[in-house]
Amino acid sequence: MTYLSRFLYLFICGAVQIFFGAYLFLELMGADLGWPIKGNAMFIPGILIFITSGILTASYYFGDRKKNNALYDEYTALRYYKIGAIGYALNGIGIFILFSIQDWSNWDLQSANRMIYQIASFAWLIFGILIVWFSLGDYKEHKNG
Amino acid sequence: MGKHHRNLLNELARLRMEKGLTQQALSESAEVSRKSINAIENGIYVPSTVLALKISKILGCTVEDLFKLPK
Repeated sequence: MTYLSRFLYLFICGAVQIFFGAYLFLELMGADLGWPIKGNAMFIPGILIFITSGILTASYYFGDRKKNNALYDEYTALRYYKIGAIGYALNGIGIFILFSIQDWSNWDLQSANRMIYQIASFAWLIFGILIVWFSLGDYKEHKNG
Repeated sequence: MGKHHRNLLNELARLRMEKGLTQQALSESAEVSRKSINAIENGIYVPSTVLALKISKILGCTVEDLFKLPK
């Protein structure tokens, strides 16, 4: 694993996640985008994250030790924790807002189902943005920092 | 020369240069990334105890020579 390959893995995962997360979220919020995505395609971001997590985990445990000292050092971990914390905070606010805008007077199973999907797609979108942010910052710091 | 973190004054850049080491060389000896060394020197990051001890050992000084609390 190198800084460039890590950047590419994370950036692609994040960008794909943003695309699907934003699409699903907008559709659920009532915006008719007019170009339906087939249901099976919704698995793509999940599969990408699963594969990328596997590659990163394998590189951490079985990769070149000298390279890993730099790639997975404490400063990088701190950046990751900070961005993760921002993600949880934004998702907390988002879930609160999504709860607040529901029509609770006409609540039924369909509304509950829709709200669960809204929350999931919102979290998906936020973490996609944060993965892209992390990947760009990480690579930029490696080059210039 | 480097800048200071609000909670920690550091002399890392000066002591590193006195030893004739580049950020890259120091980072390899300390087993961290070059950007970590750069972040410490510029007051962006406060290193862990282990990293501070490693750096002081490499530079042949004490941790107190490298880092001080602001008055």
